Amino acid sequence: MVTLPAASHDRWNRRMPTTPVIEVDSLNVVYGDFHAVQDLSFHVRRGELYALLGTNGAGKTSTLETVEGHRKATSGTVRVFGHDPADRAAVRPRMGIMLQDSGFTPDLTVAESVRLVGSLTRRTDEVGRVLDVVDLTRKADTRVSQLSGGEKRRLDFATAVYGTPELVFLDEPTTGLDIQSRDDLWSTVDRMREGGTTVVLTTHYLEEAQQHADRIGLMHRGRFHREGTVAELTRTLPSVIRFGLAAPAPTPPAATREEDGRYLVETFELQRSLSALLRWAEDHRLELRDLEAGPTRLDDVFRAIGS
Amino acid sequence: MLPIFLSELTQIFRNRSVLVTSFVMPIAVSAFFLYQHDVFAQIGSLGYIAAIVMFTVCAFGLYASSVTTLASRRQNLFLKRLRSTAAGDAGILAGLVLPATAVALVQVVAIMAVLAAVTTAPDNIVLLALAVLTTTLMMVGLALATAGLTNSPEHAQVTTLPVCLGVIAVASWVGISGTEELTLLKRLLPGGAATELVVNAWSGGVAVTDSLLLLAPTLAWVVVAAALASRLFRWEPRR
Repeated sequence: MVTLPAASHDRWNRRMPTTPVIEVDSLNVVYGDFHAVQDLSFHVRRGELYALLGTNGAGKTSTLETVEGHRKATSGTVRVFGHDPADRAAVRPRMGIMLQDSGFTPDLTVAESVRLVGSLTRRTDEVGRVLDVVDLTRKADTRVSQLSGGEKRRLDFATAVYGTPELVFLDEPTTGLDIQSRDDLWSTVDRMREGGTTVVLTTHYLEEAQQHADRIGLMHRGRFHREGTVAELTRTLPSVIRFGLAAPAPTPPAATREEDGRYLVETFELQRSLSALLRWAEDHRLELRDLEAGPTRLDDVFRAIGS
Repeated sequence: MLPIFLSELTQIFRNRSVLVTSFVMPIAVSAFFLYQHDVFAQIGSLGYIAAIVMFTVCAFGLYASSVTTLASRRQNLFLKRLRSTAAGDAGILAGLVLPATAVALVQVVAIMAVLAAVTTAPDNIVLLALAVLTTTLMMVGLALATAGLTNSPEHAQVTTLPVCLGVIAVASWVGISGTEELTLLKRLLPGGAATELVVNAWSGGVAVTDSLLLLAPTLAWVVVAAALASRLFRWEPRR
């Protein structure tokens, strides 16, 4: 892993100060009658980790594939490093792509696959180093047909990070990976980001996006339901208090009863509401069972737009 | 393109079923024709044997195995993977089909060389080479077009049959019965003019200018195949 020294890093930033790495303006993607992406606009800045989240069919893969250059936009513009992403010779040497499905040919070995795909990116790297990064050194001479699903994902990741590109696309990178491989993958991504690499991520694991993303675009039916930093997204949402009560009990203030019989309080002043609730329970000598209180998790946002 | 070419070549020799269909089978058929060359020369001519050998190798070794390879590379998303790199579409396709093409050309040349050694040498080698090259181009074009209609390597066993059987039937028909009757039809069918050209090039006795005209139908098929391929070829499986 090559980490740029601070000085050259600054020079790099000064040389390309304002141009975003990815610019998407009024993107539309239509398949037949299906409007997969509708008037979507977003920018990804250098060094950022941008996560596209959404339910199945929300349009995130269509968006990602258009930005990668795999798919044509029906209308709108997409620029990557200031180029049309379909101009492979211009953009691909600077970007690595981890596809959602692996896409390797079964009769080549792991090392041969990395060497082939790596050389086609026109970046330079050592096959051995890349295999080491994804912990596939022992499998170097194994045919791809003999790999497990998780090993294929790691092979896929290896080809994406070959030559340490400036921009990496990760389409559901940790699906099918065990915890150890997942942690290893993220530590590699973190190291690359220290060197200034920009990352675009789609994932089903929301905690992953919350932990690693600088900004999140939450897609629903081809549009952004919300877009912003993780903090911004959660700040617009109320905090929640959940608890249960033993059978005959008066209705607690400001609470709504949920389907499972538990109570829910939504509040923008968590401390005050919680203290009021505790006082109320004290006054009525009631036990608040399985009391939970905290900020809205992205999971809740996700569930809310899904339902 | 070169890295793709080399990796495909590796895979041809690594995958037993590909090796058998694209290498062993055409060689076996050709060996039979060579072994029985007296009989087949009487039925048709030495040029007919050369034409049948060429079409057997080009149909099974080149065309069918290219369709199978392309369908399989698309099905397991390897085409998409290659298109995720800086490689261009033309380079990717060339890298994928050239190894089978090179193997087929080596086979055709080798078998024709044996035929020439055990019988008589062809009258016009340049003309023969032109016939082989244009036929190869036509079969590669047809392979790209057929690959667009083929969903999986298994499906290729069905989708390649019409062209495989068709060109061999045409080559046999033209090679055995000549082109004195139904001249235009025989020359326009895919492989018809090429067969006549191989027969002329091997046996001689026909003016070179007349023979060169026979390149036109084959080249027209190359154009038709290329046009079909550009309409039909798909890089990703249907979802």
